[in-house]
Amino acid sequence: MAASLSLGIDIGGTFTDLVVLDPADGRAVIWKESTTPDDPSRGAITGLTRLLEKGGIAPGSIGRVVHATTLFTNALIERKGAATGLLTTDGFTDVLEIGRERKYELYDIFLEMPAPLVPRPWRRPARERLAQDGSIERPLDLDAALREVEALVADGVTSLAICFLHAYANPVHERMAAEAIAKRFPGLSISISSDLAPEIREYPRMVTTAANAYVRPIAETYLDTLEAALKRAGIPGGLFLMLSNGGLTHVAEAKRAPVQLLESGPAAGALAGAWFGRHAGLDRVLAFDMGGTTAKLALVDDGDPLVAWGFEAARTKRFLRGSGLPVQIATVELIEIGAGGGSIARRSDLGTLHVGPESAGAQPGPVCYRRGGSEPTVTDSDLALGYLNADFFLGGTMRIDAGAAGAALDGLAGTLGLDATRGAFGIHDVVNENMAGAARVAIAERGRVPQDYALLATGGAAPVHAWHVGRKLGVTRVVCPPGAGAGSTIGMLMAPARIDRVASFNTRLADAEWQEVARIFSALEADAMAVVGETGADIARRDIRRLADMRYVGQGSEITVALPETLTPEDVLTAFEAAYRRLFGRTPPGAAAQFVALRLALSAPMPGSGGTLRLDGLGGGTTALKGKREVHFPDAGGAVTTPVYDRYALPVGTRLEGPAVFEENESTFIVGPDARIEVLADGSILAERAV
Amino acid sequence: MNDNASPAVRSFDAVELELLWRRLISLVDEAAAALVRTSFSTLVRESYDFSCVVTDAAGQSLVQATESIPSFIGTLPETVKHFLRFFPPETLEPGDVLITNDLWLGTGHLPDITVAKPIFRGGRLVAFSASTAHAPDIGGKIRSPEPREVFEEGLQIPPLKLMRAGVTDETLVAILRQNVRTPDQTLGDLWAQVVALDLMEERLHVLMEQAQLADLTDLAAEIHRRCEAAMRNAIAALPDGTYRSEIKTDGLMDTPITIRLALTVQGDSITADFTGTDAQVDRAINCALCYTYAMVMYGVKVCTSPGLPNNEGAWRPISIVAPAGCIVNPQFPSPGGSRMLIGHYLPMLVFGCLGQIVPDRVMAACGSPMWGMNQSGVNANGKPYANMFFFNGGMGGNVHGDGISCLSWPSNVSSTAVEISEHIAPLRFHHKRLRPDSGGPGRHRGGLGQEILIESRSETPIAVSFLAERTIFPAFGIEGGRDGAAGVLSINGDKVDPKRQYVLKAGDTISLGTPGGGGHGDPRDRPAAAIARDLGTGHVTDASAYRQGGIDTATSDSAMARR
Repeated sequence: MAASLSLGIDIGGTFTDLVVLDPADGRAVIWKESTTPDDPSRGAITGLTRLLEKGGIAPGSIGRVVHATTLFTNALIERKGAATGLLTTDGFTDVLEIGRERKYELYDIFLEMPAPLVPRPWRRPARERLAQDGSIERPLDLDAALREVEALVADGVTSLAICFLHAYANPVHERMAAEAIAKRFPGLSISISSDLAPEIREYPRMVTTAANAYVRPIAETYLDTLEAALKRAGIPGGLFLMLSNGGLTHVAEAKRAPVQLLESGPAAGALAGAWFGRHAGLDRVLAFDMGGTTAKLALVDDGDPLVAWGFEAARTKRFLRGSGLPVQIATVELIEIGAGGGSIARRSDLGTLHVGPESAGAQPGPVCYRRGGSEPTVTDSDLALGYLNADFFLGGTMRIDAGAAGAALDGLAGTLGLDATRGAFGIHDVVNENMAGAARVAIAERGRVPQDYALLATGGAAPVHAWHVGRKLGVTRVVCPPGAGAGSTIGMLMAPARIDRVASFNTRLADAEWQEVARIFSALEADAMAVVGETGADIARRDIRRLADMRYVGQGSEITVALPETLTPEDVLTAFEAAYRRLFGRTPPGAAAQFVALRLALSAPMPGSGGTLRLDGLGGGTTALKGKREVHFPDAGGAVTTPVYDRYALPVGTRLEGPAVFEENESTFIVGPDARIEVLADGSILAERAV
Repeated sequence: MNDNASPAVRSFDAVELELLWRRLISLVDEAAAALVRTSFSTLVRESYDFSCVVTDAAGQSLVQATESIPSFIGTLPETVKHFLRFFPPETLEPGDVLITNDLWLGTGHLPDITVAKPIFRGGRLVAFSASTAHAPDIGGKIRSPEPREVFEEGLQIPPLKLMRAGVTDETLVAILRQNVRTPDQTLGDLWAQVVALDLMEERLHVLMEQAQLADLTDLAAEIHRRCEAAMRNAIAALPDGTYRSEIKTDGLMDTPITIRLALTVQGDSITADFTGTDAQVDRAINCALCYTYAMVMYGVKVCTSPGLPNNEGAWRPISIVAPAGCIVNPQFPSPGGSRMLIGHYLPMLVFGCLGQIVPDRVMAACGSPMWGMNQSGVNANGKPYANMFFFNGGMGGNVHGDGISCLSWPSNVSSTAVEISEHIAPLRFHHKRLRPDSGGPGRHRGGLGQEILIESRSETPIAVSFLAERTIFPAFGIEGGRDGAAGVLSINGDKVDPKRQYVLKAGDTISLGTPGGGGHGDPRDRPAAAIARDLGTGHVTDASAYRQGGIDTATSDSAMARR
């Protein structure tokens, strides 16, 4: 039998999601297994065995495996990485500790800053210095460097980061040092800044390099273990890793630069949003995921999730910008909000109704779980409003107590001077506003308007809230793909191979040597091709994007501009100004433009990605209508008797009108009155609000 | 203006108020995000040295952008109220944009340009959107303590209309352009501010439409009432009394300056009285009353209600008494470009007073005011340039732990990357590293300052001036903690007066050591493990202060005299 199937494995903190897809007919089988934190590959293999059993699939038929994991991010958050040392330019060994010198919280004098990844005694000086143009001002003293590293190794350091001042402009000293050190200490893992993030600004570059060094030994061991386990399980297909940028790469690249994998899980989620959006015929999608504690939003334009050229890892305070470590790696842009089913509703100090970011999580959980939670949560209010069904929670596998939830809600409403229904809907409404507000700011920051987007709801709580969040944003279309829990794994299987590369290029537009630009781009392309070509992707259908970080001379932050096909000063200026205007409304008069960096994104489709999707066990029934219940829709004046459908039994092509409730095991999709509803070919439900 | 509307007072329940409030915050934050991204000024972009607010028709603020630095607490709505005195409502029309950088009506120094736009609904003035931002340049002498009068500090813009019914005053723009070193960038930022005003106006219209609000009067009243009550509750929980504290600053080096504060808690209000503070000086370190107010509010808020939103209601319970002509209420034409060299001490003074009753909510003194180095010269292409780089000292220790090293406080100004600095100035940084032993010993020690060594590589002379304090009087410890190390500044190895200007030739070096924070608690109570850790990392190399009974416990004369 030909090995034609694709397997996706997404290892999260609690669950490992698996999916097998047959690209020929779109048939997909999903499985959820508990994560085994001590050795995550064990849970993955257990899940795999059960998944194959469930689908009646032979291991030998699996042609490729795509993998996303939160393992490396968790190592960073929990500070459980390798014993990492740093070699840096003499005089600058404290850069990692001094940081940006800014507070992330203005009024808290007790705040804690993120601890540096490398402790002070392991940050060692190298006698060398480059000038800002990359020229050598003080040659590298290799012997001295080796002595420093020798001391580190003697001290137990197993992974080394090398980051020299101005190395983005000239990698020569970093490479010389790395080569000599590798020769002398073959067991030492080495990461160098000019390879990973050749961009100006020493602090983020040093953090990125140190973060890579910190997780690299774990990545090497883990990926070897997983690869061997898959082989033992009889799977012939190669292993590919999901990168933070929404693309795939092979194991060697992942081992070299695992810092590119930190956000692989969320990137897979955004990709799933992009894929389902494309299948629903939507160009612009706001992928909306809401779980127990957090909601995540990702913008997808023309089928591609937006990618930022850096993100903040391992925040001390999860929702506070500036409390984490700046990592200069291309990453699918995600907005994280402290809003989930477990978010706690309270009377604020100012007497208003606050919801989140504190969450009851899964333990003790909402009041209705009867696990000791006493403060009402979003889930409790959703239950009271009829959005959730006490008799069909998690597909009927979990008993919940609507009475206890109601009592807690009444108590809170009383302290706020509200009647019970107003209080319950208030919680729903406030948490929706929190999410809509974050979405509005994020969309505005990118020069877009929310009305152009469709909302795509995944995760346990998003389908319950999407309809009303959409109303707040002025969005008219809401899509709910099937199998809310397995969405991100499906996204991975649709991902292309993709590599992003950057080169520093600090030059005014007027002074740019265009041959030099072309030379840099071909070097970046060759480098990216070398990796993508190894993945087995369809190189003939590759997509190459040339971009540049640009700004007006004197500005300190850049925008990334997609460059035109022909690189002339006029065309590039036009592209820059158009991008600038879209973001900011107008260009400053008389200012000169400059480059800061050149970027190249190369992607190529993987064989077996794309195509259709047919989730096993979907669309089979004839009696989709399960019954009716009272559901609260304030637009319709309150409780409305609403039909409840079994999601799994709905045939493709079904057309309905709102209001309606669609129940599946992992979630419930709520659609309000004035909606036209259609079940799409891939099993997604599209609800469109009459305007 | 039509005043016969508003029949009944509109009330808002706990849900509606929360929703409207959230949306107001979201709209000023959206405007702030747009301003940050379009700005030329590093201070705006990287240090959030700006603010955006929405006020009601009377200039009372409803919401302020979340990340604005403390300097602007309360200043921006006050400026809007001043605008209203110069331009009463009947003289305003849709599309107007008002402007000023007046030192006393604004924020205490000229680079901060404030603009405000009246917002009308149904022909009635209902609100203002307003914004202050630190301009890349405002002309005059390069920022330093040197100027003797405000006239030396740059262009003064009295309250004027930058735009009248949507039409720009080109005369004003021409004068502005002619008077600043970087006309494109200064104007670019000004237009970025106007974009932010437009954005707030547009979003506010949508919100008012959807919420069916004819004006903001009732909503403002409700927001103010609740915030005022919360602040009053927090104050009422403090014991009544008058608490005094004073602080000596380096001042003009040969003449220290003493700031005295008597803070009275009476029931649910606070009066901060600066009577007895030294007089204003003929240098640019005077701290205008608006800035004094912002810094006192910041100190009080940190100690009493850090989570409370910034708006009119929260400020009402706090009043300030500062005799005209003292250094925290200087009078025209006093210069104020380096006002933070006094102003940044003020939250510490508030801590000195409130620390007597809520010692767990304050910290030891920080190595602030922030340090800065300004250099100007002519670059290789013959073009004049000027740059300002900032460096921060250590935070004070507190009851929970050690002070953080090298952190901006009370402001929030980040340091420029060395790689960027070397690109934009003909300088070579030889080191920028922690300053061992600079944290004041204590059970919880102060955060470390940093030491920086910079060499001029310029063929032509560079003029340098500094913002540097605590070179004579270090950051004091509290609760038995010891002082942090004083700051040091030298040129070619010789200690120099940081309040003066110097000219460097190629090869000259500047060495800066920013002050460490003060310690909290008796150093002899510091756990042995913590001492060992510090010795291991090298944050501390001399542990003598931590030895049992090994040190003289008399407080140094620099420590704050608390009564």
